[in-house]
Amino acid sequence: MRERSNHLAFVSALLATNLKAAVALRGAFVIQVVFMMLNNLTFFVFWWALMRRVPELRGWRLGDIQVLFGIVAAGFGLTVTLAGGVRHLSRFIDDGELDTLLAQPQPVLLHALGLRLQASGFGDMLSGIAFIASSGQVSWRAAPVVLLAIAASALVILACGILFHSLTFWLGNVDTVARQLWELLITFALYPEPLFGGGLRLVLFTLLPAGFVGYVPARLAQRPTAALVVLTIAAASAYLLFAAAVFERGVKRYASGSRFGVHG
Amino acid sequence: MRAAAAAKYVAFARVATALARRDRGELYGRMLFFAVILGVFSSLWRAVAEAGMPIAADPKLLVWYLATTEWIILSAPPVHTDVQESIRRGDVVCRIGRPVSYVGAAFAEALGLLAVRAPLLAATAWACAFAFTGWIPSLTSLAWTLPFGFAAAALITAMYLWIGLLAFWLEDVSPVFWVVQKLLFVFGGLMLPIELYPRAMQVAAAWTPFPAMLAGPASFVLRQSGAGWLMLALEQSAWGGAAALAVWWAFRRASATLTINGG
Repeated sequence: MRERSNHLAFVSALLATNLKAAVALRGAFVIQVVFMMLNNLTFFVFWWALMRRVPELRGWRLGDIQVLFGIVAAGFGLTVTLAGGVRHLSRFIDDGELDTLLAQPQPVLLHALGLRLQASGFGDMLSGIAFIASSGQVSWRAAPVVLLAIAASALVILACGILFHSLTFWLGNVDTVARQLWELLITFALYPEPLFGGGLRLVLFTLLPAGFVGYVPARLAQRPTAALVVLTIAAASAYLLFAAAVFERGVKRYASGSRFGVHG
Repeated sequence: MRAAAAAKYVAFARVATALARRDRGELYGRMLFFAVILGVFSSLWRAVAEAGMPIAADPKLLVWYLATTEWIILSAPPVHTDVQESIRRGDVVCRIGRPVSYVGAAFAEALGLLAVRAPLLAATAWACAFAFTGWIPSLTSLAWTLPFGFAAAALITAMYLWIGLLAFWLEDVSPVFWVVQKLLFVFGGLMLPIELYPRAMQVAAAWTPFPAMLAGPASFVLRQSGAGWLMLALEQSAWGGAAALAVWWAFRRASATLTINGG
């Protein structure tokens, strides 16, 4: 129990330090947040232009796509804000940068994930919430369910990031491949589920779980049921636990980079 | 004299080509991404066709249109990240001292990368588009897309180079890159032909360089001919000149105010 509260205090301190560092350059921070929001808005122009002409695509309307896009954007933003280190895990492993973390009394994965904060993540979160709020599909009373959906989406994105980057333990430097797999996950999560059929749909709910990043949390936000709540939480927990176990197994194989360095 | 100067830049391009041939991980990733995105969009266009196609274009043509625009955009190397890193680390100072233009060398290296990526990604684009549609557009239109697509990718690369140079003034150029990239997606007609946008956006797009970078070369496939090539050539030349001027001006301003510390 005490160990858990220690970890919690450590994570809080790490986040606070990262946040202070990000906000220290206030101008750059604001630019990153605002530009990311613009970026997301511009991306959505495609859907807006298309669905002006075709109001419904296999049962999906613009509002549904807005909720899906909002959940994925907010989930991704939450991940890179709270666990921005996930994007650099391959490099940490391949360059031997885990050495300094292994020597410290905190869980290695937790520490590695918390090492970087991506300021643009705030832009993703804000634009994601704005997309959901303006979709006309979700009422304010559903806010707790929406937050749960965003958190679940973030956990699955995080779990996949950990899994893809942990391949470095076995395959050597796979940074590029891991990043591209992560991009694929997000790409698939941003398009309506009915576009994909058969075997691909199975892949999207197992190996590349875009279904649990986008479709299931979006459905939960729009039409919450007890079964969906259970499914969302179970999927997010299962993927995260599996990813953490794979990382731990990888750490056992980890060969030091014999590098001298200092971490703050 | 001019030949000797050009030879230096050719050497930079050749080194970059050799490195790109060795380090193919990212290229394979782009090829995979290409296949996925075309698969997603061929499904999307089928769904759009079921719901009533909004323009008088065959879904198969739209998949080939997307294959062409994606080919161009994925071929252009993201040179802004290298330039930004070079400026952040201070490497740029060592490079400025060389008897070659820094931006000229960076652009030559990027063209070397482009020379490796473009043919492989073109092959991937055509193979995937054929696999998803079971159809090939007229060979004349495909032949027209190649030179104009390569020129467009070079133009995008010059734009990325200019964005990278902004690192002399900005802490991080990524936000500028994201926005310019998304403007390119929208006004360039990456996923949708520009004709599908509202009239005001079509007019706005016409005032930007983006249609000459994506929709212009890809429209040969939609038109099934080489019609409009002269206009596109003029547009690409004009925007190429503007890009060269912007890069030259940005680097000149940065060099004039650059403070070098240490030794």
